[in-house]
Amino acid sequence: MNETPGPVYIEDTLEQIRGDGHLGYRSALLPTWCPGCGYFSVSEGVTKALNDLSIPGKDVVVVSGIGCASRFPFFMETYGFHTLHGRTLPVATGIKQANDALTVLAVGGDGDAFAIGAGHIPHAARRNVDITYLLLDNGIYGLTKGQASPTSAIGFVTQTTPYENRDEPLNPLMMLLAYHASWVGQAYAGRPHHLTQMIAEAIAHRGFSYLHVLSPCVTFDKTDKTYANLDLEVRDLPDDHDPSDRMAAMAEAAKADTPSLGLFFREERATLGDAMTEIAERASGNYPSS
Amino acid sequence: MGNNDIQIAICGSAGDGTIAAGDILKRTMARCGYKVIAFDLYPAEIRGFGKCVARVRISTEQAYSLKHQSDVLISLNDSDAIAHVGEVRDFGAVIFEDSPVARVAEGAHISAHVRPAQIPYGLSQRQISERATGAARSRNIVVLGYLAGLYGLPADPFRDIIAAKFKTKAAAVGEGNLRAFDAGLQAGAAAFKLDDIALDPPIHGDKGARATMMTGNGAVERGCLDAGIDTFFGYPITPATTIMERLAREMPKTGGRMLQTEDEISAIGATLGAGYAGARAATATSGPGLALMVEMIGLGVMAEIPAVLFVSQRGGPSTGMPTKTEQSDLNLAVFGGSGDAQRIVLAPTNVEGCYRCAGKAFEMAECYQTPVIVLLDLYLSNRYETVIPPETMPFAPKAEQAPSAPSGDGRYRRFEIGENHTSRRAVPGQAGGMHTATGLEHDEFGRPSDQAQMHMRMSTKRHEKLKQALSHPDLTICKRFGDEGPVDVGILGWGSTFGEILETMFAAQAEGIRCAAMKVVMLSPLPVEQIARFLADCGEVLVPEMNYEGQFANLVSGALGRPLTRLNCLTGGPMEIETILEQVRALAKARTAA
Repeated sequence: MNETPGPVYIEDTLEQIRGDGHLGYRSALLPTWCPGCGYFSVSEGVTKALNDLSIPGKDVVVVSGIGCASRFPFFMETYGFHTLHGRTLPVATGIKQANDALTVLAVGGDGDAFAIGAGHIPHAARRNVDITYLLLDNGIYGLTKGQASPTSAIGFVTQTTPYENRDEPLNPLMMLLAYHASWVGQAYAGRPHHLTQMIAEAIAHRGFSYLHVLSPCVTFDKTDKTYANLDLEVRDLPDDHDPSDRMAAMAEAAKADTPSLGLFFREERATLGDAMTEIAERASGNYPSS
Repeated sequence: MGNNDIQIAICGSAGDGTIAAGDILKRTMARCGYKVIAFDLYPAEIRGFGKCVARVRISTEQAYSLKHQSDVLISLNDSDAIAHVGEVRDFGAVIFEDSPVARVAEGAHISAHVRPAQIPYGLSQRQISERATGAARSRNIVVLGYLAGLYGLPADPFRDIIAAKFKTKAAAVGEGNLRAFDAGLQAGAAAFKLDDIALDPPIHGDKGARATMMTGNGAVERGCLDAGIDTFFGYPITPATTIMERLAREMPKTGGRMLQTEDEISAIGATLGAGYAGARAATATSGPGLALMVEMIGLGVMAEIPAVLFVSQRGGPSTGMPTKTEQSDLNLAVFGGSGDAQRIVLAPTNVEGCYRCAGKAFEMAECYQTPVIVLLDLYLSNRYETVIPPETMPFAPKAEQAPSAPSGDGRYRRFEIGENHTSRRAVPGQAGGMHTATGLEHDEFGRPSDQAQMHMRMSTKRHEKLKQALSHPDLTICKRFGDEGPVDVGILGWGSTFGEILETMFAAQAEGIRCAAMKVVMLSPLPVEQIARFLADCGEVLVPEMNYEGQFANLVSGALGRPLTRLNCLTGGPMEIETILEQVRALAKARTAA
């Protein structure tokens, strides 16, 4: 899985970057993230995935909440909605209800999603709203300068946990599997090529896709979810993992100390948009009654 | 007396069919062409022996509220109805069960409470029902028949409405109830008539045939549908739930989408999302839900996104009194949220106003790119009035949105400070319109900016654009009634209370008091000039409202600095005309004495 870098020649790279078109998805604003932040990998991955899938920027809406990760839409040459803390998924659901044809990406951090916004996740998942949720997990509140989050490890020292964090961290993958998300995967900002590929698969999935991205905060976390630690901890999912087996996915997700990368679970089922179409047919009497 | 305007109160315990009897009565009278206003009181609990009262006012001319005295009281349960004998006028009728099945303790029978000036009509409700249907359950229909017989009300419309009401039940139920009605009718026709409530025939205008019965919430639903609502998101809460329930049934028939969300925050969040994406979107809630939504209203104001919120107030604070009415969420609706978040707030005063404000709210939200709140209360949401549907569609269809042509630097300015402070809005899917909407202060492109000049310019834009709403076409934002020119007493009102205010004004005029009234429908932005002109004509100004401190009086005196006399009632029920009238008399007297 380790991506051993070969020799890189700057002329070749520049030619490749300009040539393939993915820069067209990047806005003129310079990202506000710290140098080395994992979010650069995600941002790069999203532009490449959209380019690979040939989805025009005008048909994409990037929705976010509040936090470092939630600054994401400003750096994209697409439509964007930077909403309130924790409220990414309701707004994304509304956009999709208004227009099924749009590609909607919800982007947020671990605090935005699993602290203030945790009540919305099960409902977007169970309704199978056809959106992609990119969860950028750095285990800390960065925009407010370093406080514990729901995914911070026990023993983690932050501004608000000076005597060490004592709250058990959540296991987001197990939660999303239990919520009946129809696509659940995990990637790592330190594996950008794999990350790009996972983002493209998540967007291509019809239904609610949840991609958990392990993404170090280089400024406020020097001890726990660092590149150095994560490089040693991450694994590939076993070759024989069956992504249609929810319980097997649960068992893999439970191994939180050695996070596995790849597709945990996938199923095809009716989306919220499909349900709305069926309801409209029933209401207008065009649906065969049971 | 009372030949063109009678009010009937039916009182019983939950389960007696009180509300159902009132429903048949009001539908029948509306079908006959009378004007009808009706409002039911019922307990918050679904089961148990709570008291129910159905009041129906039937008149040949337009009425504006219930009367404080009823002409007829029908008791289906004496222990509940005894407290209401007092509301029956002199020479009015009290109809009750005269053959109770069990011994009645002294003083527990309603006949012991009827005043000498009232006319008692004993009726063997239970026996007649049992003979007609084999069960006592149809007592509520028997008394309707008796009422029709006693006052010569047309029987066939009753039969039609009863048959329609029980259409979904087994055929025997409908037939039994029709027999019960006829048996009651016979008894009523045979009764010796001591009073003179016999109704004048209805005045049939051209429009009479098209008149229909509607509640405030029903009118909101119609307004939404006629304005072409695309998406609705809601979370159940009394007394707003029926808006969502009605739309859930009707919207999908024309491809609209209703979604019940996980809470009020997601309901308004999704409404903003849909509005951003170009839909006509709305949600509905009550005070506690609005308290959860105000952060999102701020986002809608900042990001300039159209959204419509229907808010039906109930007794507060906190969970308060879910099935009782109040006007205590004005402050929250007008001011709720962080920062300077001005929005449009409309408060209709009657059922027809609910329809008009509902449809206009979508136009205005779109036109001025802002959240619009339509503020009702339980009394308005649940009361029935006869309304005449408009002949032509009164609402403008959804306007095509399009980004403006790129200016010099080739980039679209979503928040360009242009004519009237509004900008061209692009929606996702349109080429050349890409931008990010945000709750952060931003520049004309939508890029985050916290420069002092930018914040000042953008705040000006957001406030000034709303002033156009004061001259929005085909919407009454305030209106004066009563005597022209200078008056002794002016009554200033808003919302559901205005019906009682108008009735009070007519009564005061009849007593020779020079009196006028003004209703204010647009609470934000406030039509300050029109209100100031009205107040300049008034010697004294009375502001009756159903809250403790006078939230509307505070709003007006804050804007105009004029001392106002407040009249605040917090009973959970509509204000009483007599209470307002006493104040008007006192103010008029003080003025003539001065």
